[in-house]
Order: sequence, then structure tokens, then C-alpha cells
Amino acid sequence: MEEDKQLSRREFTGIAIWAIGGLITIGIGLPAIAYIVGPALEGSTTDEWIRLGAASKVELGVPTLFKAKIQRKSGWIVNEEEISVYVRTDDGRTFTAMSNVCTHLGCRVRWSADRKQFFCPCHNGVFDQNGTVVSGPPPKPLNRYEVKVENDQLSIRGGQS
Amino acid sequence: MTRIGNWIDDRSGWRSIWQAIFKRKIPKVNWFYALGSATLFVAINQIVTGILLTIYYVPTPDHAYDSVQFITSEAPAGWLIRGLHHWGASAMVVLVVLHMLRVIYNGSYKFPREVTWVTGVVLLLVTLGFGFTGYLLPWDQKAYWATTVGTRIAGSAPIIGDSILRIMRGGPDLSAVTLARFFGVHVWVMPAALLTFVFIHLYLVIRNGISAVPKRKEQS
Repeated sequence: MEEDKQLSRREFTGIAIWAIGGLITIGIGLPAIAYIVGPALEGSTTDEWIRLGAASKVELGVPTLFKAKIQRKSGWIVNEEEISVYVRTDDGRTFTAMSNVCTHLGCRVRWSADRKQFFCPCHNGVFDQNGTVVSGPPPKPLNRYEVKVENDQLSIRGGQS
Repeated sequence: MTRIGNWIDDRSGWRSIWQAIFKRKIPKVNWFYALGSATLFVAINQIVTGILLTIYYVPTPDHAYDSVQFITSEAPAGWLIRGLHHWGASAMVVLVVLHMLRVIYNGSYKFPREVTWVTGVVLLLVTLGFGFTGYLLPWDQKAYWATTVGTRIAGSAPIIGDSILRIMRGGPDLSAVTLARFFGVHVWVMPAALLTFVFIHLYLVIRNGISAVPKRKEQS
């Protein structure tokens, strides 16, 4: 170690190999992460209005079930999926639309006409007619959609289905 | 850092292995002696990008083409991953052949390296097997007809030809069965063979040392 400030040829090559190897690893590694994570970053909701049906079908005070077909693209496949939405009104003019997906772990809730409550069969989550949690594990009320009525036609937008 | 290194070395002896692989003595040689390492480098590239491709690729007739299109034009950096795999495949065949020519030219296949040579020949065939099976996977027109022709060539062998053709295709015609078995061979059988023989090949290279460049004059 007489000239420890001078880099020997061997040391230089060693450092160069590690540096080039590191650059190649980053050059592949970063695109690889983007490539794997990519589909996860795509939003699941659309901005389009989804037509549900006639607003006059909704009984006063009773959440009524509507079904609608939506197109959903995942990867290279476009699927037609059916979503279910409960629509409720007290006065026949203002409507609220609720998703039937339980906010606990994603099972589908069902309206029980006798008990006047939404019930989730998976872990006994219970919601009232406005979608507010009554009992059980759900952390949040049922998700709501934006609602629009035109010529007695109900349409919804947004929310999580 | 050295303390951690020592701790692990006491329990694994990795330093002597590192020494044997990367700090071994070699004769003074030229750049043509790097062709084997270059092939190994491309092989590692093929393994990494190949694993990444399987994340989206689906080996069935109704999804293969679309999933490849998705990788190429929609998945982030998918064009890069597929491109590296595509061009790496050609590069690997070229490098393997050049490596072989260098070994022939320098007579490096002679005693005591005959077994290294034989495993190298197996690795050449494995590389070609990778190329043949991988070519079908995009399931486009070029892939379909290349494999039609390729399996027909195998079928032209006397007596057993027709059996070979049917076994390769998994039936009389190219079908979902053909695509699935080509994928299985490309992704499981060939990599297993490659890793096994690369391991033996490299072990022998390190154990026997590499050959020096032949000299014109006798040097005794």
C-alpha cells in the first residue's frame, strides 16, 4: 500500500463491473416494477352515466333493486358485468342509489323487507335503509352513486360497484 | 460489513467459493474468450424477461395473441421486456455459435475438456429448442406457419417421422394442444435442462481452468 491514492487497474475494473452491473439491474428493474404494477394503477370506475330503468318503479321508502350491464376491460379482455344497485326515495323526486357491495369484505348485501334492513350473509353486517351501519363489522356505510332522473329514466354515475 | 461477511463465511465458506469462481487464475487470453460469458449474460436476460412475460402471457389460442398485443402496446414497459426477450433470443443463438467456433478454432475441446465440450453441445441444442418452441408462442401467422413447417420437417424423417410430428403437435394438426405443450416445454423443460447443463458446464470450466491461446512455437 505505497500509493493508496492511486487506483490500480484491477480495482478500477472491479468497480466498473459493479457499476455497470448496477446500471443494468436498475435499467431492467425499474421497468419491471412499472410493468408488474401497471394494471393496478388503472381506475375501476367510469365517468359515464349508467341507465338503470324507470324511476316510477321505485316504491316510496323501500330500497328497490335495479340491475344494469356494464362493460369492464381487464387486461386484453372486455367483459360485460352486471351490477346491482338499490335505489330509494322518500318523496318520488330525490333519489339515493346505493351499491349492494358490503363495505366489510365485498360480499353482496340483500334488502330484508320484514326487518327493513340490509343484511350481509358473510359476517352478519347490517345496514339500515339509508345504508348506514347498524351492527356487525362493516367500517363504512354502503357506497353511494350520483343519481340523475330524465324523463322518468334513472341513471347513475361513479361510486364503486 | 466485513464482520457480517465473516459471520456468514464461518457458517458457509462463501469466500472460498467466490475466490474459486471470480478470483481464479486464467492465462492471458483475448476478447473471443468472453463469448461464453456473453452467452451466459444473455441467458440471464432471457430468464428475467421470460419470467416477466409469463405474468401476462396466456398460452391458449383465444388469448395468446391478444395477451402478447397487450404486453407490447399497453403494459408499461412491456415493449421493452418483450423486445429484450425477442432480440435476446436471436443474440443468444448467434453468441452460442460464435462461442462454439472459437472453441473449435483454438482446439479448446481437447483433453481434459471433452466433457465440457459435450455439455456445450447439449446447451447448443437446448438453445435451439428454446428458439423453436418460443417462436410459436405469439400465435400470429408467422408463428403458426413456421411451426407448421418446422414440425413437418421433423415429420419427414423415415419410418418414425409421422409419430414424431404427431407427438410434437399433440395430434395431426396444430391446435391448442400444440400451443400448450410448446409453452410447457419452453417454460419448464428447457429452463430445467439449461440450468442443469450450465451448472455442469461452468463447474467444469472452473475445475479444469480455461485453455491458453495456442502458440506457434514449442515452449517447453
